[in-house]
Amino acid sequence: MDKNEKTILTTDNDVQTEEKKVPIPVFLTVSPSPHIRSHENISSIMLDVLIALMPAFLWGVYVFGWRALMIAVLSVASCVGFEALTEKILKCPITVSDLSAAVTGLLLAMNMPVSVPLWLPVVGGFFAIVVVKQLFGGIGKNFVNPALAARVFLFTAWAGFMSRFPAAGAKINSVAIELAEGDIIAGATPLASLKEGTLPDIHLLDNIIGNVGGCIGEVSAFMLAAGGIYMLVRRVITWHIPVAYIGTVALLTYLFPQHGGVAADFMLAEIFSGGLFLGAIFMATDYTTSPVTSKGRLIFGIGCGCLTVLIRYFGSYPEGVSFAILIMNVLVGYIDKLTIPRRFGGNPDGK
Amino acid sequence: MAYTFNGGIHVEEYKNTRRCRIEAFTPVKSVAIPLQQHIGVPCEPLVAVGDTVTVGQKIGDVKEGLGCPVHASVSGKVMDIAERPTSNGSIVKSIIIENDGLDTPCPDLTPYHGRLSDASTEEIIRIVREAGITGMGGASFPTYAKIQSAVGKVDKIIVNCAECEPFITANHRLLLENPASVINGVKILLKAFGVHTAWLAVEDNKLDAINKLEELTAESNMIEVKVMKTKYPQGDERQLIFALTGEELPAGKLPADVGCVIFNAETCSAIFRAFSRGMPLVKRIITVDGDCIRYPRNLLVPIGTSIGDIIEFCGGLSRTPKKIIAGGPMMGQAQWDIRTPVVKGTSAILLFSNRFDKRKNADETCIRCGKCVRNCPMHLMPNYIAQYSRIGDHENAAKYGAMSCVECGSCSYNCPGGVEIVQFIRMAKATIRAEQKKRDALSPNQSKQK
Repeated sequence: MDKNEKTILTTDNDVQTEEKKVPIPVFLTVSPSPHIRSHENISSIMLDVLIALMPAFLWGVYVFGWRALMIAVLSVASCVGFEALTEKILKCPITVSDLSAAVTGLLLAMNMPVSVPLWLPVVGGFFAIVVVKQLFGGIGKNFVNPALAARVFLFTAWAGFMSRFPAAGAKINSVAIELAEGDIIAGATPLASLKEGTLPDIHLLDNIIGNVGGCIGEVSAFMLAAGGIYMLVRRVITWHIPVAYIGTVALLTYLFPQHGGVAADFMLAEIFSGGLFLGAIFMATDYTTSPVTSKGRLIFGIGCGCLTVLIRYFGSYPEGVSFAILIMNVLVGYIDKLTIPRRFGGNPDGK
Repeated sequence: MAYTFNGGIHVEEYKNTRRCRIEAFTPVKSVAIPLQQHIGVPCEPLVAVGDTVTVGQKIGDVKEGLGCPVHASVSGKVMDIAERPTSNGSIVKSIIIENDGLDTPCPDLTPYHGRLSDASTEEIIRIVREAGITGMGGASFPTYAKIQSAVGKVDKIIVNCAECEPFITANHRLLLENPASVINGVKILLKAFGVHTAWLAVEDNKLDAINKLEELTAESNMIEVKVMKTKYPQGDERQLIFALTGEELPAGKLPADVGCVIFNAETCSAIFRAFSRGMPLVKRIITVDGDCIRYPRNLLVPIGTSIGDIIEFCGGLSRTPKKIIAGGPMMGQAQWDIRTPVVKGTSAILLFSNRFDKRKNADETCIRCGKCVRNCPMHLMPNYIAQYSRIGDHENAAKYGAMSCVECGSCSYNCPGGVEIVQFIRMAKATIRAEQKKRDALSPNQSKQK
């Protein structure tokens, strides 16, 4: 419009008169406000989760050997691959770049013992991504946590593989684990001893740092907590679910210890054993399958804690974290409905 | 301790122009003054094509109903009375004045001669109305009507100098360069309301302005500076009242119902000018910024100056803009024509490439992160309202409080999924309003009985 007119130069700083003049575009974008966005997107959040998982995962590789890395690579690759494949078949936009499938894959791997056969993570990845996530509409639509659902699926279908825990420091570096089965010590995990009502024969510090048998990523409560703090600082998660979850387990096990000794010892052994930290910090905080309000998150965490203790005490499995979170997952819609916040200025209908 | 509210977001500030002095700029050729720049009835033109007008001369007025007059902002000849686009996207009849460059003031304008202590409320309201003053923060509600409706109900005046929108520094510069005009305007308002308390609410990212205001109000026992925490949307009147008084404004109520009345800083300054010089609202301060303008600055421009003229004055474009925004980036409107003039409610002209508004993901998805719920200053669940709106379930959208949404955009700003949450809520609101209207039309008696 005015592009043929001469520029009116009126101030001192207009010295670059020779600079090429940018014409006013013929078409301008008209869109509703806001016209400015934060830099945060799904992939930046998922990258933060992956970073937060690293300490615990690397610890797992250190304790259980290179085979742990191999399992993780297979699991992540199959999750990402299955996601791309399903979306291609269903003619949806390919969303693997949002890294959520990678997070699912890594979480799945961290929920397996290092000694599982190499095809197991691939089957798990298929179940997590195709059955639990994509068939329900992809990211944001699944009603249970894909990695957890896959873990439980594998656990019930191949209980032998999934509950054969190598001892701490097994350092399995070979692929062909099946051939050397006799070498694996099916050491009793701390949880298994707790189930029998005896304190595990492990120093508390080893239990916290992760010098114990278990799944690849669940053994080091310390490393998992470090990742949790990173996510809190980066505002990826809020404190509500982990604190409510671990706090509830701590309170219940302290009040109702399952053996005659000091209640505090039993409580500490319970909270630092098994998958509680991995579950409370990384699984229960999964956005899609947890409530959106702070109050709802507290209820969710407390519910997970109660169920975990109930299953550990009275269930037939030593571990209850996965089942507890899955059960709470399906209640999320109701929790959200129950915790609709009071509107600013009060609800007009007086509620 | 700075005052604040619950919810809200920390937006990157981009207050690049905070050190740019206000420069006066008058377009060389012409201005286009829309006959409606306020909430209410449009003005009728009082001049005809070919008439000569002077600065401050009334050229349009509202005969009946809510509204206030518009004035010529330059002297010269009325070239045309034609339909022109305005910044809110509507086409409004506008008076186009050719600038003769003389800036002849209107001879009828006289400063207020009496003493302020003798001025009656009615007199102040009349002067404010004749000066065509509307709220200059963006909503453009006629100021005289606000005073009229609130007199007798309020015990304190809050001056909104929060300026919580990113980029905009117009109020900040006004408070630095001419704080006396704001404070004097507040004194006139104190007189109009007959109250003894006025709070100047400034966000703590403007400490230099706070110091200056505190210096100037040290003597006064009526005017007090209140330091607010820098958070968006602190400038929203509900959040401002809550932060300062702890009172939540119930839905559908006005600030006067909780004893407060809120004015924008520049509105106060305009009221003072109407008294001290008799000059109506013909100029305003705007911030020109964005990554596409060569020299971002703060300008004092006549009402009716086109965006195109402003771009030229600021050294032209440095790169091709994708959007031109009138107002702040959080709540301003995208423009489609550079002939669009600055009006009384325009606080900024921003020229953006796509740098600030990138597509976030391959697909627009809610991942239920709950950030919108945590950030909503109205404590709603924006994700649910948006989802109900998307599937056309407006009943549930209303149940989740769609009508309480103030459209601040905090939800959309932070949404990692890139969902246009606030836009879905706006759509729901429009439909709910239309349905309500339809229902009222069908059964007028019933709704009356209610």
